[in-house]
Amino acid sequence: MKTLLWRFASLIVAAAFVAAWQILANLKLVSPVFLPGPDRAWAALMHGFAASNLAAKLGGTIAHMLEGWLIASIAGVALGALIGSSRLMRAYFGPLLEFLRPLPASAIIPLAIAIFGFSPAMAVGVIAFGAIWPMLLSTVHGFAAVEPRLYEVARALHLSRWQVIVKIALPSALPDILAGLRLGLTVSLILAVVCEMIAGLDGLGQWVLVAARMFRSPDLFAGVILLGAIGFVGALALNALERRLLVWRAPTRG
Amino acid sequence: MNDCSARAGEALIRFSKVDLAFSNRKILEGLDLEIMRGEIVCLVGPSGCGKTTALRVATGLLAPTAGAVAFGGAPILGPRRDVAIVFQDYGKALLPWRTAAGNVSLALEAAGTPRAGRAARIAALLAKVGLPHHADKYPSQMSGGMQQRLQIARCLAQEPAALMMDEPFGALDAMTRQELQDEMLQIATTTGATILFVTHDLEEAIYVGDRVIGLLPQPGRIGIELKIGLPRPRDQIATREDPEFLKLRRELYDFIKSAER
Amino acid sequence: MKWDGRALVVPAALLILAEIGARAGGPSDSVAPPSQVLTAFVGALGDGSLLIATRDTLASAFGGLAIGGAIGLALGVLFGALRPLDRLMEVTIELVRPIPSVALIPVALVALGFGYRLEIAIVAFACTWPVLLLTRAAVGGVEPRLIEVAHALRLGFVARIAKIIVPAALPRIFVAFRLAAGVSLIVAVTVEIAVNPLGLGAGIMTAGQALRPELMLAYLLWIGIVGFALNAVLVFAQQRLFGRAALVGEVR
Repeated sequence: MKTLLWRFASLIVAAAFVAAWQILANLKLVSPVFLPGPDRAWAALMHGFAASNLAAKLGGTIAHMLEGWLIASIAGVALGALIGSSRLMRAYFGPLLEFLRPLPASAIIPLAIAIFGFSPAMAVGVIAFGAIWPMLLSTVHGFAAVEPRLYEVARALHLSRWQVIVKIALPSALPDILAGLRLGLTVSLILAVVCEMIAGLDGLGQWVLVAARMFRSPDLFAGVILLGAIGFVGALALNALERRLLVWRAPTRG
Repeated sequence: MNDCSARAGEALIRFSKVDLAFSNRKILEGLDLEIMRGEIVCLVGPSGCGKTTALRVATGLLAPTAGAVAFGGAPILGPRRDVAIVFQDYGKALLPWRTAAGNVSLALEAAGTPRAGRAARIAALLAKVGLPHHADKYPSQMSGGMQQRLQIARCLAQEPAALMMDEPFGALDAMTRQELQDEMLQIATTTGATILFVTHDLEEAIYVGDRVIGLLPQPGRIGIELKIGLPRPRDQIATREDPEFLKLRRELYDFIKSAER
Repeated sequence: MKWDGRALVVPAALLILAEIGARAGGPSDSVAPPSQVLTAFVGALGDGSLLIATRDTLASAFGGLAIGGAIGLALGVLFGALRPLDRLMEVTIELVRPIPSVALIPVALVALGFGYRLEIAIVAFACTWPVLLLTRAAVGGVEPRLIEVAHALRLGFVARIAKIIVPAALPRIFVAFRLAAGVSLIVAVTVEIAVNPLGLGAGIMTAGQALRPELMLAYLLWIGIVGFALNAVLVFAQQRLFGRAALVGEVR
């Protein structure tokens, strides 16, 4: 009950910020070219869906993001399982992966453009490449960190190699894999936006850039709000998935 | 299913001059040990004497660097399906993402038991270890004693000829420890399983065992072997007050004291 | 640190394959043999273009890191130390946090135009989050016993923060900044690639547009090296300054 009250109070605080934003815009303390009020941003949002192609742009970004993310997820988890479960593989590939980890995935964009041109394939390629890293690294970590005692139990019970992977290694690595998926989704959204901006693909990235160039700030803010919404819903969905899959977790502090 | 060829009265497990060395350090030397069918043998000794290592050799998880280990007459090449291992760190030996029923089921899945018969067997096993109403609980929701019982239930699902127990009750409080000692003796009587039991608790060893073997450290070798002539079934109060119990306890205690020097 | 030679096997093999493959395929817009990449790299290094670009990118990245880090640190300490404030701000943070930093590029573009300020602003926004969240966790994770000591010594709020809480949380705060530093570099390069005509990102885009794959790959290699070096330096500093204390709590 107390938690609910705090959530409600927190909601009020957020609403207060929006109200403050509206007041700022009404007083024109900042030029309306830069900072439209929430009322104008909302109107642009509604208008965009009703009369313009904002819905298509939204769909475009979501499509790019999910396509790249799905490819990266499958490849990342599969490769991660392979590398993570074998000490030999980890010795050969680990340092290379560590070196590639801090590389900005967006730096691959010029290369992707050279190969694919300004096309949706370029975007999906870049997104997949960028999103695969957090998933690969998290999965490797998850498989490498399986409790060794469980492997002894597996030997004692004479579990087949396949049974060990499916019944022991995979469930054990699942929390790490899910964390990697969440990170991967964040990266996917970012790269989708960047690719759309650069290649002019059908998506919110292009929408907001065009709006900026034409100084149509309500449209711009409407687009930014939608991008935030995509991030929000994505995180929510994965959190729900995690709660369902990891129901066995002992309650930890904070 | 006991497919070993040892008959009653013959050694089920035999160590013949077993050596075990780790990077030039000799952990075990010239170990000669025989465990009969249906016997409960306890291994004790000061810290670092190699008793856990000896148990791991008996389980097949470790191979001796010299000498031979045999089970039912056949050399041990690895963990056997009919040998169950009860680890001390039960928390790490159970699957946290499966319920109690799921954990017991793992052993049945490994043995290829058809799905139809599993539920009944799981229920029976959980009842046998005193967890009949906890089938849907996760290990994180169970106390230490309950988790150890769960591990034992999973081991019993293998229908083992032998149980290898590595300080199984060491991480539990005194009361739970005593309960589990009695439950284990019960299980031993009903299943007729052979038990190799490693512990640092001398009284526990005498209470539970038919024979107690004390190892000397560095390298591990047999220092003392006591036949426990106490009557069965054992009783936590009566047996522990038996003058024979006290005499054995004094002998064992003196042995450990001198071995630690 | 044990040197494992096996770590070099796969990269070396890949380089050899790339060399052979790229040469066999003939001149192309997108791939170049590693030997040519190396030549282009040395060239760009020699004529100063690479270093100037690096300076620009790092300046923007660190400028943004400083601003975003300061804001994130202040808010993180505040939210971590004052639980009620933290709970009141929950919804607001949850709503603002998912906005991708790159989505704000056009907003900054309208307000600030092209140049350093645009990049610093975006990097600052991006860096605020990891610093805020991890600092908040670090402050929240301070040993309660120490807080009790602060109360027993009758320290005022500011003194409590400065003398007990921040020093106790410092190892994990350092880790937060280390991660944010990585983020700052990535976001800076991303902003440059997307819109901003300066720094390493612009360099790599220009090389691509000029159909010079060897220069493009040289920039790519250099960006990787800079990122790796930055992280390595910070990890080293972390070990020296804090040792095991910074490893409390798994951070990814």
